[in-house]
Amino acid sequence: MALPLPPGLTPPEIAFLCEMELVTVISRQRLEGLELLGGPLPPLSPPQRTPLPLWLAFLLKRQRRANILPPPWLSPHSLTAILDHETKHDDAFSPPPRFYPLPSNNTLPFSPPFLSSSTADAAPDALPYHWLELGEMLLEAAADDFEEPDNVRKLLRGLREARMAKLRKGVEVLDAGGGVRMNGVGGMEVGEGRAFVGGVIDGLRKIAASREQQKKDRDREERENGYPGTADDYDENEMDMQ
Amino acid sequence: MDIDDILAEVTADAVPQETCDLQELTRAWVTERVAPEILPYPDALMERVLERIRKQIELVEDQTGNMDPKTNFKLIVIQTELERFKFLVRSFLRARIAKLDKHPLHIFESHTNDPTLLSPSEHQYLTQHQALLSQHYHSSFLSQFPDALQRLDDTTGGMSMIDKPDEDTAVFCRVLREVGVVSVEGTDRVFEMKRGDVWVVRWSAIRQRVLLGDIELI
Repeated sequence: MALPLPPGLTPPEIAFLCEMELVTVISRQRLEGLELLGGPLPPLSPPQRTPLPLWLAFLLKRQRRANILPPPWLSPHSLTAILDHETKHDDAFSPPPRFYPLPSNNTLPFSPPFLSSSTADAAPDALPYHWLELGEMLLEAAADDFEEPDNVRKLLRGLREARMAKLRKGVEVLDAGGGVRMNGVGGMEVGEGRAFVGGVIDGLRKIAASREQQKKDRDREERENGYPGTADDYDENEMDMQ
Repeated sequence: MDIDDILAEVTADAVPQETCDLQELTRAWVTERVAPEILPYPDALMERVLERIRKQIELVEDQTGNMDPKTNFKLIVIQTELERFKFLVRSFLRARIAKLDKHPLHIFESHTNDPTLLSPSEHQYLTQHQALLSQHYHSSFLSQFPDALQRLDDTTGGMSMIDKPDEDTAVFCRVLREVGVVSVEGTDRVFEMKRGDVWVVRWSAIRQRVLLGDIELI
């Protein structure tokens, strides 16, 4: 009964998340609106464009009831530009789409897969969080909705390789304290890197555990004595450097 | 206030409760699958979701006999979504049970300090399962040990028998609201986390922020 999986999402689970992404669908036939568990589904009438979750878009596509409009970033032109950026800047991933503005009434902030980062109105120049999964799934289920599916497939593979190399190279900056910024990383890449990146950080932490405990104790003592320990810390850092 | 703020306000207000709940449930599931320790049970959310699922199942049962092709397709859509929801709920609960099984005594202690941690049925499962286990251990071998060595939750002698999750495990997270500067205890690490950033940090450093909803795990 208990889930036998280790912590961290498995690839099928990441794909499941990705299937909640909204894509733009052009219906081929009329469909009445529906009350679904995740909110109401608007009535569909051709040739209107409607944003729908990916799982539903696939269902309609499989039954030839609709076509899917690939997001603008999934075009050969955009992907070439992004790939170019990825290869030129080898210290970071290409920037993610602009994070949507925070609702001012401070309600629940939305995040992928619930942002419209893969509809027809999405930004053309940035890879969203689920770029790889979404691209692969769209190419598999709706290749005929692409203008140049083979080209897109080739570019996706190129991007994946360029980015995986960065992820592997990024390991050099890992240390026991963690605190590594990875803006622009994709969902599947997190899934692939989690065991390794997490393992390295946790392993380094265990090696440095006694030193860390010492520092924790010293910090606590200093806090209790009200003694500012900055000068001390500074000296010690310099010692470490030598 | 620029155009983005106005747009954000409009869209945030227009989002129906059901969609917010789906986002919240999805986030709770991911967090529970990724975080090293068990998190407070989202009582109100689960109640709403389960109630909706129950109603949707009733609807499906009512309309299954209908052979009209139009209604039939509607039912397929409804059932597909229903299965997805059921998977989310089930996987979420199973991930929690896995944690209960792994650190029963520790979670039992935490639940005593904070009774919102577990749902009533989880608490019942934990106590009964633990009672059965210790009874079994006693009858099969513990009773033959010296009295002083029979306990399963001995904490004397500077060593605790109670297993705890490793709270310093590194996790991947995304910043949802500005949190400012975060420091990692025991190291010199201090960094600023901005909205939209993705970081790999220790769970213990951001735990409170995740509970407040400022940061989410991915």
